[in-house]
Amino acid sequence: MIEFDRVSIALGDFLLDDVSLSIRNGDYYCIMGPSGAGKTIILEAIAGLLVPDSGRILHDGYDVRDIPPEKRRIGLVYQDYSLFPHMTVEKNIAFGMRMRRLPKPEIGKQVQHLMKQFEITHLAQRAPLTLSGGEQQRVAIARALAIDPELLLLDEPLSALDPVTRARFIDILRSLHRDHGLTIIHVTHDRRDAASLGTRLAMIIDGRLVQEDRVETIFSSPCREQVARFIGYENILKGTVVSCEDGLCIVDIGKNRVSVIADAKKGDSVSLCIKADDITVLLSDGKKTSARNTLEGIIVRKQVSGSLATITVDIGVEVTAVVTGKSAEELALDNGTPVCISFKATAVHVIHEA
Amino acid sequence: MAGTGVKRRWVKIKAKAGQLDWCLIGFAIIGGMLVLLPLLALLNITLGQLADIPFLIEVATQKQVVDSILLTFFAGLVAVIILLIFGTPLSYVLARTQSHGNQIVESLIDLPLVLPHTVAGLMVYILFMQRGMIGAPLKSMGIVFEDAFWGIVIAMLFVAMPFYVNTVREGFQKVPVHLENVARTLGATRFKAFCLIVLPSSVRHIFNGCILAWGRAIGEFAAVIMIAYYPMVISTLIYYRFTTGGIKESSAVAFVMIVACFVVFLILRSVTRYLGRNDDRV
Repeated sequence: MIEFDRVSIALGDFLLDDVSLSIRNGDYYCIMGPSGAGKTIILEAIAGLLVPDSGRILHDGYDVRDIPPEKRRIGLVYQDYSLFPHMTVEKNIAFGMRMRRLPKPEIGKQVQHLMKQFEITHLAQRAPLTLSGGEQQRVAIARALAIDPELLLLDEPLSALDPVTRARFIDILRSLHRDHGLTIIHVTHDRRDAASLGTRLAMIIDGRLVQEDRVETIFSSPCREQVARFIGYENILKGTVVSCEDGLCIVDIGKNRVSVIADAKKGDSVSLCIKADDITVLLSDGKKTSARNTLEGIIVRKQVSGSLATITVDIGVEVTAVVTGKSAEELALDNGTPVCISFKATAVHVIHEA
Repeated sequence: MAGTGVKRRWVKIKAKAGQLDWCLIGFAIIGGMLVLLPLLALLNITLGQLADIPFLIEVATQKQVVDSILLTFFAGLVAVIILLIFGTPLSYVLARTQSHGNQIVESLIDLPLVLPHTVAGLMVYILFMQRGMIGAPLKSMGIVFEDAFWGIVIAMLFVAMPFYVNTVREGFQKVPVHLENVARTLGATRFKAFCLIVLPSSVRHIFNGCILAWGRAIGEFAAVIMIAYYPMVISTLIYYRFTTGGIKESSAVAFVMIVACFVVFLILRSVTRYLGRNDDRV
């Protein structure tokens, strides 16, 4: 188990500020946040490459401040894979075992096993710079696993891959976690990675831990507006609760009032988070709907991307909805078209403003 | 028919001329004028020497000339070896740390670049003369710098230092820190990561640093004569022959040195082509 106990690290103008988190053995722990939030610093601190200015990092209850990286048995894979350019693939994979002075026959056997596992046997004598991104990545993972690590640290390893290689690699990571029980800490700024792989998630924004919980919990109940935006809530509307009865609250968002399910009281300031694909777009003379909220507005923007169209409707504030391209065409949804948007009270996640 | 053929050819030539990169051609012409200077100087001295080959052979085989060239090359090599031993760790520290102290150290290293060489020679002399801060204690141990081999080496070391340290530091800076970080998580100590990852990845820059430093060292004159007129390095010998034997004698020695340097640098540059190339199959 890895624990961060109020860890602060200053690097130039950046400060990782008072971060406390715990990663249990067997977790697939994702660390998510925008670029420059301090995610990689957390990984490097776990690996022992950075030492906290204050606070403690505990490994199974022991403070590991004085244990250098080479003694920690932690595998690390960077976004750029960081393969040693002057060594062949085979030598890259064998490097960790050589450093641990394992017998040569054992090193050879293990290297062959890993190359077979990751289907890179044919690349054994190739120089890393001649490999594709996907091949480099498999070599990097094989090299990290060669030392039989207790913990595997991944720093945005999927960000430079094409969709097919990416899907294949997600399967490899899932298998490493589920079948081999490996504890993995995965830094990413892609919510798809966290949603498909993670068991727990930490949100880091501007060097601070903003939320830490099970992945599903954070995705369904973000605690802050920044988190909500990051995990895919396209619409965040500010408002004030005007009435509340049996958990059904009416929130004034300026020109309109919206019904939401929330534990709030009159006068509370709240942010309403609504996903674009939870919003239905109807023509103004459209059919009635069971949804609690139907608001009138005018389309101000339409952007078609593949088979989907993103429609921005001005209802006093701008709200984004996603419809299929076919629907947009059939309903003639274009700039200036008067429409109604509709969403259920249960589709709104309410965040209480501090 | 013939007229049509000529016309077609003319159209082709015009089309090709349209494809030419006139900007690059213009730059090449302007830059070429700069290359003309050493080329003309080289041609001039070569033609002069080839006009009297027996005299050239006589000078080239003189023991004093051969000894002087060997001494110059060897003293330069020793200076480079010292730079390899002391300059490499210094370059690594400068590449991997960022502090105000770095700027001071880098300025000190660059000092010989901007100083007149006589000033550099004077500084070396005052420090290493028999009554100097370093020269005096080393004299008691039997190591003398004035008019001695080690005096030549120290003068060469002083002027060659910035060429080596700056080139190697740039090489180290180009090696991503991530490589070292990964090596350390795989079980390498910082020293091992330096030896096994950083050094091999910078081999090209280290070799280039050595060539530049060696080239600078063997070409030094002013700093060397301030501390060691004797034994004569080749630049001292050429100056001596110029003042005693005139242009003919000194230019013959100079020509021998030019040929020797050309051959050595040609070999060294050929080696560089194959060093540190990691984009081919290993």
